[in-house]
Amino acid sequence: MTYQKYIYKLKNIFFNYKLGSLEVAAINGISLNIPSKALITLSGPSGSGKSTLSNLLGLIEPLQKGEMLFNGEDLNKMSDAKKNEIRKHEIGFIFQQFHLIPVLSAEENVAYFLKRLKLPKGEVKKRTKETLEAVGLFEHRMKKPSELSGGQKQRVAIARAIAKDPSVIIADEPTASLDQKTGREIMEVFKKLVKEKSVTIIITSHDPMVLSYAEHQFYIKDGKLDKEEK
Amino acid sequence: MILHLSFRNLFRNARRTIAVLLTVALGAGALFSFKGFINGILDDYRENTVHAHYGHGQINTMGYRDTVYEKPWKYWIKDSKSLESYLSKKEEVEYVFPRITFSGLLKKGNLSIGGQGEGIVAKDEAEFFHSLNIESGKALKNEKNGIMLGKGLAKALKAKPGDSLTIYVNASNGSINDAKFKVTGIFYTGSQDFDNRMFRVQLKSAQSLMKTSSIESISIGLKDHNEWDKFEKGFAKDYSKLEATPFNVLDKVYYQHSVDWLNTQFAVVQVIIIGIVLLGIFNTISSSILERKQEIGNLRANGESVFDVMKLIVTEGTLMGLFGTLFGIGLSYFVLMTFLHHGIKLPPGPGLTNEMFISFKFNWKILAQVFSVNFVVVVIAASMAGVKVAKMSIAKALRSY
Repeated sequence: MTYQKYIYKLKNIFFNYKLGSLEVAAINGISLNIPSKALITLSGPSGSGKSTLSNLLGLIEPLQKGEMLFNGEDLNKMSDAKKNEIRKHEIGFIFQQFHLIPVLSAEENVAYFLKRLKLPKGEVKKRTKETLEAVGLFEHRMKKPSELSGGQKQRVAIARAIAKDPSVIIADEPTASLDQKTGREIMEVFKKLVKEKSVTIIITSHDPMVLSYAEHQFYIKDGKLDKEEK
Repeated sequence: MILHLSFRNLFRNARRTIAVLLTVALGAGALFSFKGFINGILDDYRENTVHAHYGHGQINTMGYRDTVYEKPWKYWIKDSKSLESYLSKKEEVEYVFPRITFSGLLKKGNLSIGGQGEGIVAKDEAEFFHSLNIESGKALKNEKNGIMLGKGLAKALKAKPGDSLTIYVNASNGSINDAKFKVTGIFYTGSQDFDNRMFRVQLKSAQSLMKTSSIESISIGLKDHNEWDKFEKGFAKDYSKLEATPFNVLDKVYYQHSVDWLNTQFAVVQVIIIGIVLLGIFNTISSSILERKQEIGNLRANGESVFDVMKLIVTEGTLMGLFGTLFGIGLSYFVLMTFLHHGIKLPPGPGLTNEMFISFKFNWKILAQVFSVNFVVVVIAASMAGVKVAKMSIAKALRSY
């Protein structure tokens, strides 16, 4: 895949949530371009719409109004199956609550989506080992999520996201459940990933420590782009 | 990988998995036991009908049973010896019983009662028709002028073994003919209607009474009751002016109606059991899946399609269905064969007078039927439970706590 200068181009995006009979605007006409191969942050106060924007970028919310290009491809013209394929191959997700599969070991959690990509057995093994080593968890690979600390769980989630070699990693408040020291360690892993793997990492956070790592920052307020800093 | 994850998910909440397994097992066990029980009843009914009266079927002239009412002897089978010889040589046939039936007036002292007589080769029939129970006296065998009376008929005539009576008939030449007989035994079949009107004498005595050398029918005893269709097909080819009728058609009122009645009853009970199992499993799997909404949201976020998620959920249900069904069938078979292998005593069935001892009878067909029905029910329940969550918006699933 050849990467464009901007992995995402958003033009006049609106998104409303339905709360019973009420419609609440979460995104209110955002237009922005997200550069490739950089560590990006989306920040803003609670309820500003940054998580919704992150979901739109992850193709897990449908586009309601506006135009959005992913690596040059128009999402308005994209089928659900195609979006599934993009999420499967091109986007890695890291969530605040980790969302690891509790019945699988750390190693199996990482290998699960690789196997679902139908990669050869040897490749699955190699990537699982490499990514668990990259996040410093190889020696804990046989442990189930319940036997890991919060930081370790997040590292498994990172390993799982990077193992499939995506072009984008979307991390929603990835350090919110972690202490400052562990949070910083996680951010160092992200920084290394951008440098070594040329991946685009988009992090939703309002933690100043996380923002300090950003190469490009977008401030969201009331569903609108308030400020952009490079 | 999906199979692997589905298998692991069974151990996620052991108590819930056990609850589903027990629900499935209970359903499978109940269906299997009930089906075995019904099969036991039907087997008993069939054997009773075949070995009490009709044999596996009967040969008559074409259309005789449905169209002939007046002077039936005109339509009886003449020169039956060659037919009997042909039937005896048929591969599927084990017994050949020529018979005639006739109406007669039985007179004992001052009592006269109308009855339905059967002329039989008593010595040959004694072995095959073992369901004909002897109430008192002995079965008719070689006694030239012996007569066996149905229980109800004997009671009405106040007759007992050793008594003499006279039978008056309207013979085939139109004259009134009579003969004296000595009661050898009183029989009952369990069918009240039959026992109230039937009596049996030797075929030759009956032919002499009716002044005929013809026979009305030939009852057939097969080596295996499943071979009737094969026999009937071959017979129809060789004898186009005769027809072979199976026992279930001959005894439609008691046998076939009972079979239909029991099968309908089974169908109703089956629907109830299936409904309970379906709802039980749906409920348990639903709560299990609802707890995993975020996890399912994560799978979907990472590119798993609705179909993939459904596959995962249905595979889990399928595994539980498989283990639960095998466990239920195995356990119920063990319990029934260990504690109830002698069967269950039942009161007389519709139209019957004697109690029945019904054993549970299983075969591969029952096993396959119960297994597949239960299995399909579990898969449907799992699909019903899974479809809502699988189709839920990914972001909504991830947001739910």
